Amino acid sequence: MADQILEQARELFEGQIDFEGQKLAEFLATALLATVGAISFIVGYFRQDIKGALLIGLGGTVLTFLAVVPPWPIFNKHPVKWLPVGGQNLDTSELIIDG
Amino acid sequence: MHSTVVRAQNVFGFFTTVAFAVAALIAFTDLITPRTPKANISMSKVEVVRGRPNYYSTKKEEYAVLRFNLNADFSSLMNWNTKQLFVYVSASWPNSTSSEHTNEAVIWDTIITSPSADHLQNIGPAAMKKLKKSAEGKTIDPSRGKINLKNQKAKYQITAPGGRLAEKNDVVLKVHYNIQPWVGVLTWTPQIEFGKWKMMKGGVSKLFNFPALKVKKAADTTSR
Repeated sequence: MADQILEQARELFEGQIDFEGQKLAEFLATALLATVGAISFIVGYFRQDIKGALLIGLGGTVLTFLAVVPPWPIFNKHPVKWLPVGGQNLDTSELIIDG
Repeated sequence: MHSTVVRAQNVFGFFTTVAFAVAALIAFTDLITPRTPKANISMSKVEVVRGRPNYYSTKKEEYAVLRFNLNADFSSLMNWNTKQLFVYVSASWPNSTSSEHTNEAVIWDTIITSPSADHLQNIGPAAMKKLKKSAEGKTIDPSRGKINLKNQKAKYQITAPGGRLAEKNDVVLKVHYNIQPWVGVLTWTPQIEFGKWKMMKGGVSKLFNFPALKVKKAADTTSR
């Protein structure tokens, strides 16, 4: 019982996501931060407002953190299909082995 | 990007890169913003008196006490990247032992903050409230760059290392400024034209002389 709770807590803390999710997270982080930076500069320059630029930049960064850091379900849509334990009843026809 | 900690590190790492790039762009906008400062300064009153550098000093020195008129327009320097503008007036006169060097001393200065930096001013709460109210809703306030002073008393009375100042000739008052940006380099009054940054128009007074030592009338009668 205690082991199960501990295991759940560990998973929650580690927040692992699948490979497709990692690719998506990487893209989201880069695209969001770059866009936020561009918007903060352009809006700040045309409104001549350095405080506004700072707020947009920091606010956008906080949103990016919220979007990318937690293991949202969207990052876990392609879970890895592991082979069955012991290798019994193995259907090798769909198996691709590298090399 | 497989775990929470790695994602947080990656996002923060790229954030610092973006922050640096945006800061560099902001600093660059200074170069494409025209600077056309103008200033008109004239001496209105000057006298030389004897005094001590501090209360316990036995040494007596000569001090020049000045008043001046200043009409300046620094509004073009107040852009979004300006944190504060430091304006100062100096008096300079030729050095008797060297033709290369001149004596120069600051007689008056002021700090003009941008509305974005009002909270940094070192003033009392009432004055702070008034200052903040003067720029309510404004992100920049070019009108603060306009200075109009008549018969302004110097903040600092000046002396020379030798302690002698009376009857020095060819004294001139000069206006200088220093822009402190939010990001980028500090810039002082340019000595050459640099792209869109023009040299200050005017900003130098006519030559005048320090008068002979002012002798107090009461002291005059008792000293004989």
